[in-house]
Amino acid sequence: MELVERLTPSMRRVARMFVSTDAVADEVVQEAWVGVLKGIDAFEGRSSLRTWIFRILVNTAKTRGQREARSVPFATLAGDDLDEPTWDPTAFDADGNWTSLPMDWRGLPEERLAGRETLAVIGRAIEALPPMQAEVIRLRDVLGWSSEEVRNALGLTDTNQRVLLHRARAKVRAAIEDHLRSVSA
Amino acid sequence: MTHQIVCRDLLEVITGYLDGALPADVHAAVEEHLSGCDGCTTVLEEFRTTIALTGTLTEEQITDAQRDTLLAAFRGWAG
Repeated sequence: MELVERLTPSMRRVARMFVSTDAVADEVVQEAWVGVLKGIDAFEGRSSLRTWIFRILVNTAKTRGQREARSVPFATLAGDDLDEPTWDPTAFDADGNWTSLPMDWRGLPEERLAGRETLAVIGRAIEALPPMQAEVIRLRDVLGWSSEEVRNALGLTDTNQRVLLHRARAKVRAAIEDHLRSVSA
Repeated sequence: MTHQIVCRDLLEVITGYLDGALPADVHAAVEEHLSGCDGCTTVLEEFRTTIALTGTLTEEQITDAQRDTLLAAFRGWAG
């Protein structure tokens, strides 16, 4: 029962990527749990249990999305900014070396860096990400899943998982920096 | 020296570096670069700090109503 409570928020969001409404996403989550109960004897422990549950969820959600004739392009879920540079290109010379050094957070008081305001900024930055970037950073950095678990759970390639996570982290980092600049200005 | 990396390109592989997922020659080039570059070391530390701060967030609680609905349904299937 604890597992149900723990996984459900992520499962609802992941399901919602593939179907049209929150209500349908809830149905998908329930349907996925039924599938888990029916199939639990076949679970062979080759992946982690939560990864296996997410595979069932994603398959259920995709099937439901197809039935709704709602096919969401990968680019919509993943974001169209995956090829963009991590850092403002004008910070480098023609060879790709720094011309203006990045802001250094070290030396900032701990309470300002790790304060409640900063955490709120991070939360909002994650919510503003394209859905798949948001889910990858939640699973990896909020919930602490391994890259392999996230890749298997969401059906991503190793490269895609890493690119999505890197874009997400870069944007969260930039949001923290904007916040730190605004409060120190 | 078999491989060199510039600052702009190093920033693209920070997540791969932190995951230990880079090819050995690229990983070595990143370490070599970091040992002599304050700017890139700063950004790497900021990524580490970002990850640590993100890790202190908690998964938002689902509403009681949603949980009750789900748990009721779950008890139905289990029983």
